[in-house]
Amino acid sequence: MLKKISINKISELAAALMGKGLLLAPVKENSGYNFAEIKNPNQVDLDFHNTIASPKAAFFPHKEDFIKYETGKPIGAASVIGLSLPPTFLFGVRPCDVKSFGIMDIHFNASGIIDPYWKQRREVTTIFGYAFDLEKPAETEEFYQTLGIGAADPEGSDVFMIKKGDDLLLDSVTAKGEKLLAELKNFAEGKVTDKKYYDEYIKKGREYKTRSMCLEPEAITKKLEDLFHNTDFWMGVSSACLSCGICTFVCPTCYCFDICDDTLFGQGTRRRVWDACMFTDFTLEASGHNPRTHVYQRLRQKVCHKYSFHVRKYGVISCVGCGRCTKHCPVNIDIYSIIEDAMKA
Amino acid sequence: MTDFKQIENNLKKEAKRLLEAGEVTVVLAYGRGYDEKHSMPFAAKTSADVEKLVFNEYCNFNMARYLMRYPCGTKIAIAAKAADSRAIVQLIQEEKVRREDLIILGIPAYGMKNQKTDEVVDSKTTCGLYNPPLYNILLGEEVHGQPVVSPYEVLAEYEAMDKEARWAFWKKEFDKCIRCYACRKACPMCYCDPCFIDQSKPRWADKAPQSPGNMMYHLTRFHHLAGRCIDCGECSRACPVDIPLYLFHKKVAKECEEMFGQAAGMKLEDKPVLVDFRVEDSDKILE
Ligand code: SF4
Ligand code: SF4
Ligand code: SF4
Ligand code: SF4
Repeated sequence: MLKKISINKISELAAALMGKGLLLAPVKENSGYNFAEIKNPNQVDLDFHNTIASPKAAFFPHKEDFIKYETGKPIGAASVIGLSLPPTFLFGVRPCDVKSFGIMDIHFNASGIIDPYWKQRREVTTIFGYAFDLEKPAETEEFYQTLGIGAADPEGSDVFMIKKGDDLLLDSVTAKGEKLLAELKNFAEGKVTDKKYYDEYIKKGREYKTRSMCLEPEAITKKLEDLFHNTDFWMGVSSACLSCGICTFVCPTCYCFDICDDTLFGQGTRRRVWDACMFTDFTLEASGHNPRTHVYQRLRQKVCHKYSFHVRKYGVISCVGCGRCTKHCPVNIDIYSIIEDAMKA
Repeated sequence: MTDFKQIENNLKKEAKRLLEAGEVTVVLAYGRGYDEKHSMPFAAKTSADVEKLVFNEYCNFNMARYLMRYPCGTKIAIAAKAADSRAIVQLIQEEKVRREDLIILGIPAYGMKNQKTDEVVDSKTTCGLYNPPLYNILLGEEVHGQPVVSPYEVLAEYEAMDKEARWAFWKKEFDKCIRCYACRKACPMCYCDPCFIDQSKPRWADKAPQSPGNMMYHLTRFHHLAGRCIDCGECSRACPVDIPLYLFHKKVAKECEEMFGQAAGMKLEDKPVLVDFRVEDSDKILE
């Protein structure tokens, strides 16, 4: 079902969604846009290119509390913190970021132990994908075309949105999206011409140019395996790296976490907090030994995990080319250039 | 001021000479990043690498940050703008690097810009000097006659706040912190291994990006930098959520200067104020 809404009436749509549950959408903060809970329907603003942090926190929050305990009490006195989630609408997710959810599902919802927190959040959430504006050029840092992702790919969304002049066209992609659009009775259905425009837009999105190179997952995997012990190569590409947590924290497909017990005045919480392979203590063992003491080993891990180990293990590259890591790196390290250099090395 | 392109040419010339003569094994300077606007820290080790060197108004990086990655005794040439040169002086005072191992390629410059906002950063987020206090070779003419703005001028608004307002200000700013630690990692004076925040016995603060952990991290880091921060502004520039860390560092630097009559990293013969004791020292700190 295709719906058509005037963009200056977007707050009405926001209000309708807020009436049904929790709405998460990009909000302008002083340093840029980020996904946040919408408190006032007028806050929704589609005038963003992409958010600083990826939307992964909607399913995998930076901090997730699991258990409350009191020191000195028996273990049975500890209580599990349950989740009670309202229906959630994740609004305005760019196609490359939508792709990342499928990659993250491999780890949290498909292989090995299913993560109930991720799973439940995924189940209650309806994803409103939002095509990039094809009239405007891509940002220099982006390269999703390299990963075979179009600027207007609806795949992975429940409802997909594109801009048509001053209007927003919303089409359902899944049954969940279809049901939701049907319930939004106050909003008019699009015409046949709108549907045609929508279909063409999606097709055009495939040709939309970002930085791109011809990249066979198998070839890059092999290449990185061959380069693994080439210390000069890794020292070269990492000589500027500060070993901070920015690139992994903003990345939609980085999923490492730490479990910690935080106790204050006898009251404790066991929680999970994001961690990053770029941190010095990420691989620090209890014995005091650290297998990755150099910056180059950590950056090599980050690149090879995404472009080599992940392909060997799960068959797909764990990167969607959103360009966030490059854009926010304080010293302008660019993963795309590293891959390019690796292919040439 | 010598223009950026000329400085770049001089940088290449000196780097090539030093590497070819075997006077140094590495030149720490700036290289081209993924496009014209985005330069990056670069370690040139061969004369072929020298061709990749650049210098422009976006080269804010403080190369002193990288000095301690090389084993003691490595002969290093390092490009240093005013604040970077102060960082080197401070590191020598703290016995982290040796003067005789370094060839400092001083860069006198103003009009440096933040690559994200295109805003001129001299004296706002950085130390306000145009000429490096310590160098072996200057890559351009010393800057004279350019209006000198106190690096503490940007504090006016902050200083107008009372204690409660300042507390509220920092609480709000620290709530934004995502604990990526880029501020610490970009800082040339944060070289501790391990940093207190990474220690697990004892654990000084929780890992979650929320107060009180955020508060603990920042207030401790601020105090570890007291009298040592050379005001290069790199912590604030690195921060992905634009927390104005420089305000606190500048405030403490100003107080130190008033109390002890010395700014960090200005003279080789100085001792860091907080490890030095002089009978005539101000007692204001005890009040
Ligand atoms: S690549 Fe950039 S963002 Fe990532 S750890 Fe290194 S300096 Fe930080
Ligand atoms: S590695 Fe970089 S470009 Fe790839 S998904 Fe992560 S942040 Fe985006
Ligand atoms: S915050 Fe303190 S302990 Fe950590 S690196 Fe900086 S000075 Fe060292
Ligand atoms: S760089 Fe910014 S967000 Fe990161 S730890 Fe420092 S203050 Fe927090």
